[in-house]
Amino acid sequence: MFDEDLIQKWLDEGTINHAQAEKMRADLAECKKEHRSKRQVIAFSTIGAILIGIGAILFVASNWEKIGNTFKVLLLVGSTIGIHYAGYHFKYENQKYPRLGSALILLSALFFGASLFLIAQIYNINANNSTLVLIWIIGVFPLIYGYMSTPIAGLCSLLFYLWIGLLYTERTDLEKLISMKDLYLLSGITVYFTGVLHGFTEKVKHAEKTFKFMGLQAVLIALFVHTFKLWEYKVEIIVPVIYAISGILLLAVLLAKPLREKSRSFQADVSISIIALLMASITLTTIYVPESYISAPEKVYMIIFNVIFLGLLTLLLYAGYNMEDIGIVSTAMFWFILLIFARYFDFFWELLPRSLFFMLGGLVLLVISIVLERKRRELKVQFSGGEQ
Amino acid sequence: MNQKKIFYLTVVFWLLIFSGFILYKEYTLRTGTEVLLKTEPVDPRDLFRGDYVTLNYEISTLNLGEIPAEDPYFEYNDRIYLALEIENGYGVPKKIYKNPPDDELYIKGTVKELIYDWEEDKEGLIAEEPRIKELRIEYGIESYFVPEGRGREIESQQWTGREGVDVKVVVDKFGNAVIKSLLIDGKEVEI
Repeated sequence: MFDEDLIQKWLDEGTINHAQAEKMRADLAECKKEHRSKRQVIAFSTIGAILIGIGAILFVASNWEKIGNTFKVLLLVGSTIGIHYAGYHFKYENQKYPRLGSALILLSALFFGASLFLIAQIYNINANNSTLVLIWIIGVFPLIYGYMSTPIAGLCSLLFYLWIGLLYTERTDLEKLISMKDLYLLSGITVYFTGVLHGFTEKVKHAEKTFKFMGLQAVLIALFVHTFKLWEYKVEIIVPVIYAISGILLLAVLLAKPLREKSRSFQADVSISIIALLMASITLTTIYVPESYISAPEKVYMIIFNVIFLGLLTLLLYAGYNMEDIGIVSTAMFWFILLIFARYFDFFWELLPRSLFFMLGGLVLLVISIVLERKRRELKVQFSGGEQ
Repeated sequence: MNQKKIFYLTVVFWLLIFSGFILYKEYTLRTGTEVLLKTEPVDPRDLFRGDYVTLNYEISTLNLGEIPAEDPYFEYNDRIYLALEIENGYGVPKKIYKNPPDDELYIKGTVKELIYDWEEDKEGLIAEEPRIKELRIEYGIESYFVPEGRGREIESQQWTGREGVDVKVVVDKFGNAVIKSLLIDGKEVEI
């Protein structure tokens, strides 16, 4: 979008006259106001939907004995269908409140899960059952495409991570194959890859950003956990193979020329495939280079993962800056602060007196947050052409 | 496809999931055989469904020295079919099958742990191939949900360990089981 500087430039060049410049300024201000207001409506209605959804789940959890099971099921299933209809009505029939409609469709997806768990509770189906979460995903996944719903894409990604976690605790044989942190790193890469694939088709492009965001967060969380000196790092051969396949697949898709031209966030996408390939080589090293060959292997892997994590954050910052995507820049900055915080704790907890440790840490964080916030604000202004 | 069709399809799809789920469990409850199983409860909390009691049945651990098995080789996550004999209303394990037996009441389970036994020689070395001694089995009926906050209360007031805690389970002809009620000293627990 054009900004104030551009209008002034056109005015100075004589491309437009004063009246046209004024009109453009007024329209620009109106457009920004409208955009801000839309975002506020989306934020409020989505948060509202999530809160009501949490309430419904807690209602199931309380297992209120004063209401009979049949009535409880009818109440929750009826509410699910009713809310879903209201969402559909506001978004497509009435069309006056499309954002509220979208939020209600998200709420109905949450109610669908709550109803499912209520039925499972009535029949005493085993607790923390991964299959129930899988059915929830299957039930709401089509809505991403049917109603072009991005919040449901986010919900499905979250449920996918939850399903993976529950499945991992259910199937103890998985522990021998892969560690939880590698499983989540791979899951994050998979969700990110799903986002990349969505970006290539116009009809499903709306879900691209959400899947990529959710995938990126899981990748960053899992990599962040890798940066701690906590466990010995040993994997089965299947792990590097999966990392390699996912990295090569992602890279192959990204480098295919017609697809490359379509990708809006090529650099960030390539960063994720680099991470997958790097992880393939590191995990392969843990198998074929015995730990006795490396002095203090835990420390070595910790340093390697810290370098990788920092490298990824730098790549993301670079990609975010190039693509003028404030979301990626903010994500990278957030994790950068967290990394500094974690390493500060690691290195200085034993060395400094407690009071000095906290005061110094707080001071360092305050300075960093001021610097980063200022930089982020500058970038935001630059990306949005004057909007704060 | 227009949005109206998508709306109707979604509603039908969701109702099918709900009713399929309910019918599957109701089929077991309405057509199955009632069996009592002895248990030892403890009380944790489920992520979405509040308080529940974890039920550890006597048939959750199967001693292969006491219960005959059609095939003594088992692996983690193997499906097993435990034939039950009813004695005074209680389901007593009769035989472990790898395939559903004909004309017998059986309950379907999954092997979750294998406990091995082996003999050592005088030097403490394993003298022969370790053999499976016990199986830990999951039947899908290991949770009993109670109103929020009542789990610990029921446990502290009534389940002191002296009383007999049984679960009334209904098992259908395919070996699927559903919990019907919880009994303490033969009386159904009111929740």
